[in-house]
Amino acid sequence: MPTYTDMTKCDGCGECVDICPSNIMHIDPVYRRSYNIEPNFCWECYSCVKACPQNAIDVRGYADFAPLGHKVRVLREPEKGVISWKIRYRDGRLKEFVFPIRTTPWGSIKSPSDYELPDLSALTSQMLSHEPTALHVPALPTINMAKA
Amino acid sequence: MFTNNPFAALTGFLPPLVMQVYIVLMTLAVVGGTLFDAYHKGSAKFFALHRMKKSAAAQRRLSGGETFSLALETVAEAVMSSEFCKWPRRISHLLMMYGFFLYLITTVAMISAYPAGTPTPTILPMLWTVGALMILVGGLWFFFFLRVNVAFDGASPFHLGRADLFVGSLILSVAFALLWHGVQTTYGNITAAWILFGLYIFFTTLLFVSVPWSKFAHMFFKPAVAFQRRIEEANGSSDLPSPSTENYIVRS
Repeated sequence: MPTYTDMTKCDGCGECVDICPSNIMHIDPVYRRSYNIEPNFCWECYSCVKACPQNAIDVRGYADFAPLGHKVRVLREPEKGVISWKIRYRDGRLKEFVFPIRTTPWGSIKSPSDYELPDLSALTSQMLSHEPTALHVPALPTINMAKA
Repeated sequence: MFTNNPFAALTGFLPPLVMQVYIVLMTLAVVGGTLFDAYHKGSAKFFALHRMKKSAAAQRRLSGGETFSLALETVAEAVMSSEFCKWPRRISHLLMMYGFFLYLITTVAMISAYPAGTPTPTILPMLWTVGALMILVGGLWFFFFLRVNVAFDGASPFHLGRADLFVGSLILSVAFALLWHGVQTTYGNITAAWILFGLYIFFTTLLFVSVPWSKFAHMFFKPAVAFQRRIEEANGSSDLPSPSTENYIVRS
């Protein structure tokens, strides 16, 4: 189900435009609120839904196979590390789901440029960047290349 | 410059009554424009239907005290512009909002209460100038750096569209007001002062008569929608999921 923006709730902050991997969340030139310019191309990753601080983005099925009447709403609580979903089915049933999405505070993940540049020996390392410290483990298993 | 009533010099050409009638006409333009906007877009009808639907879906009735408390919370949110999630937009909005109130109130006071021949307390022109400067700082900051189509959508900082009608006419109105005031008090160039006054009146009129096409009316709609949202959250008719009872942030 692709996303759409409720313009009465959107405050035009641009978070969804920034995060959309498909580059289909844009700013309406008349009302300066976000909107999905091409629902057919929506990957349905819901990054915009989760990033919206105003809970202004919902999802809905295509009108040809899912007649309107259902509703999917999302509540973002970054201070608790949780995204909650409320699904209203067309027959009126309601279901709620709570998804823990992270265990560290929102905005606390450092960008790659915040780390020191690795030296050239890192090219031969079996570790990925900032492993194992970034995974909060003392060590990771490695393959013995001499035996392999 | 900052202590003279800018409208006092006009009274030789424009009687105070004409200026007061202009204020009344602009007030009527805002009221009429807002009503036309609500009718034309069907937003009032949509809002009323939504409200009825949510009242029917309410899981409990709110007492008068609870409703009053929610109204106070809504007012507090509007007063502090706390609906904005990013501090630059919030500060820019606060500068424009309080600058506009200050500028508007002092303009009305200087034209209505201190017509020709009546000495104007120096605090009024000073506050008028401060209000205009606040609008300019907040407005230009927003226009060139914070507009979402510029900051996130790749538009040029000089891009102009219908969405800019409100903020553009507001910035130009106060900019020409300050320029006109400066020229008439500091340089005394009559021709330049009249040209700047004409531009000031043009953009001020545009600001108030363009309400049906601009976002001027958001100052009336947004608090109403915010209040309704709080009512829905309180009476259980909101579509949003219930807040999580657990906190999953365990590491810093």
